[in-house]
Amino acid sequence: MADDEQDTKEYRWETGYEKTWEAIKEDEDGLVEGLVAEFAQKAARKAVVPRRGPVRLGMMRHVLVAVDCSEAMNSQDLKPSRFLCTLKLLEKFIEEYFDQNPLSQLGLVLMKNKRAEKLTELSGNVRKHLKALQGLTDMALTGEPSLQNTLEFAGRVLKPLPAHASRELLVLFASLTTCDPGDINTTIQALKTEGIRCSVIGLAAEVRICKKLCQDTGGEYGVVLDDVHYRSLLLDSTSPPPRARALDAGLVKMGFPHSAPQTNQTDPGTNADPPITVCMCHLDDGEGVGGEGHLCPQCRSKYCSLPAQCRTCGLTLASAPHLARSYHHLFPVEPYEEVAYEGQAQYCFACLRNFTDIDKQVYRCGRCHEFYCWECESVVSTTLHVCPGCASRPHLYQRLPDSS
Amino acid sequence: MADDDAPSDSSLLVIIVDTNPNQRYITEDPKVLTNCLDAVIAFANSHLMQKARNELAVIGCHFHKSEYLYPTPGKPLDVRQIDGQYELFTLVEKTIKMRLVNLIKSQPPEEKPGESLLAGAVAMALCFIAKFRREATPGLRITARILIVTGSSDTAAQYINYMNVFFTAQKQQVLIDVCSLDKHLSLLQQGCDITGGLYLKVPSLEGLLQYLLWVFLPETSERTKLVLPGRGRVDYRAACFCHRELLTIGYVCSVCLSVFCKFSPICTTCHTVFKIGGPLPIKPKKKKMKV
Ligand SMILES: [Zn+2]
Ligand SMILES: [Zn+2]
Ligand SMILES: [Zn+2]
Ligand SMILES: [Zn+2]
Ligand SMILES: [Zn+2]
Ligand SMILES: [Zn+2]
Repeated sequence: MADDEQDTKEYRWETGYEKTWEAIKEDEDGLVEGLVAEFAQKAARKAVVPRRGPVRLGMMRHVLVAVDCSEAMNSQDLKPSRFLCTLKLLEKFIEEYFDQNPLSQLGLVLMKNKRAEKLTELSGNVRKHLKALQGLTDMALTGEPSLQNTLEFAGRVLKPLPAHASRELLVLFASLTTCDPGDINTTIQALKTEGIRCSVIGLAAEVRICKKLCQDTGGEYGVVLDDVHYRSLLLDSTSPPPRARALDAGLVKMGFPHSAPQTNQTDPGTNADPPITVCMCHLDDGEGVGGEGHLCPQCRSKYCSLPAQCRTCGLTLASAPHLARSYHHLFPVEPYEEVAYEGQAQYCFACLRNFTDIDKQVYRCGRCHEFYCWECESVVSTTLHVCPGCASRPHLYQRLPDSS
Repeated sequence: MADDDAPSDSSLLVIIVDTNPNQRYITEDPKVLTNCLDAVIAFANSHLMQKARNELAVIGCHFHKSEYLYPTPGKPLDVRQIDGQYELFTLVEKTIKMRLVNLIKSQPPEEKPGESLLAGAVAMALCFIAKFRREATPGLRITARILIVTGSSDTAAQYINYMNVFFTAQKQQVLIDVCSLDKHLSLLQQGCDITGGLYLKVPSLEGLLQYLLWVFLPETSERTKLVLPGRGRVDYRAACFCHRELLTIGYVCSVCLSVFCKFSPICTTCHTVFKIGGPLPIKPKKKKMKV
């Protein structure tokens, strides 16, 4: 089974013996509350740090994520169960994926009862994916998965897409067996010739066929040790694969379609119905006639969702927010300064929380000089990327580079 | 928070009121601000009346800074009961009005009012909502939304800040509703679209309270059952980094995704030098297609 033993990663129970209780000391009043809060702060901040570093954005990726929904997902070696842990981590994965790959698409597939079932269409719509995931919590997990059927399904979905964008499949696989209708090796070879990259994250133990799949198609194979390791494996796969990166470093001509036909640009509400047109993305299915869509500014072909690659003239079509999703990487907020709390302010500027004795440290913005609580500092530096104080001051809010 | 269709136990509403004196409706008749504020306060109280656990915050966005008008940091205002009025409502009204006067008084006298920095106010609101969720009783179903009431216009100057707050709101499942009192706001409308909120430009200020109550009072779970103004068409053109003009076709740096209106050999944002020979050729087979 295990071809190589180069893995030297420690298991949780192999890590150093930590005498965590020795760090707990009472304060002058014999209380430990302040210390507990400080520990919580430190732990929260530690969890945040590792995801920083040079960011490379991926342009056009198409990734299908297949989730094992077989009986093996019921196991509780991941808390609360393999399945629920997977759903929770997938939410984070989806957000991070679209942050790193703003013009990319994602689709979700369920491996249920020997079949591969589409949960969401390939699209750039984060909300739709998250909502679909949240609807899965109570699903019954039974039967066996079929890896081959999943691969066949992925092949069918990914094959028609333009080849210069990356086409990838990521399988989250808990079962140790797969129930396949034919020879899976033929399927793997077909994916290999198509250039579809398959990666697998195993939730139980190493499975030979998964390893072969990843090796042959140029993907990554990892087996989860615990939830922390699972999270890092998943988040690692949000950064674009080497081949997608090779397309980088160029200036790409891009179209930003108007949703309205350009002929009558009056009030948005009073537009007459657009003439009946067929959208190019659904041309093959015979669907997509009429209705609203986005017109390629170069050749007027219609697409029902963005981002897309125009099939007629080749222009990459996107909407401004698709690009803007990642702009915080370009204009990061200046980190706040950590200062010992000595009553400099009564409350946090952003959330109005009163500073109390528990706040040993508070955070100060070097530009707007407002004070923030540690929770808000973490919100600002990890998700918001806007300093609330600076963004509401006329001489501080601008962060666009000067046009010079 | 998890399910859009299930009613929530507690709903937090953060209202951002644009108090910038340079809004057209205020310059025309300063008294109208009081009327609008009264409508907003009545609307805020209607929200509190819907459920015992509903919560409220109001942020005033002035040209020199934004500040919480409600709740007060620290101790709440001491309010004497007025006959026939529910105590909380009196507290809300008194606090907002008193703190707004302070906010307006604090404006630097010699500074000319510039654009309303609504993105900063939204950033504050998102921090407030995050705190509310942290401190909520576990297991409680909580929804949160932001309503922006403004008569200003939006410009590309706050573009990055707007996009960052919109995407954060989307991540935290916070709806952004926008009620425009004057002009069409294309950037804020994008925010509504990204977060799933509603955008409405009121035809007249007279019926403001009616519009607020009919359109913006229902919470997420109820909205699907009502006939509300449609999204309309959202303009998703990008603004170039060099001149901040809206483009239908532009050039995008593949490393940092900056948008430019013409080809240049070096990216001014990330300083990547591009290969000579113009933009990456994307020339597929020239097929004639009838559309
Ligand atoms: Zn279509
Ligand atoms: Zn085209
Ligand atoms: Zn705070
Ligand atoms: Zn600041
Ligand atoms: Zn330009
Ligand atoms: Zn660049």
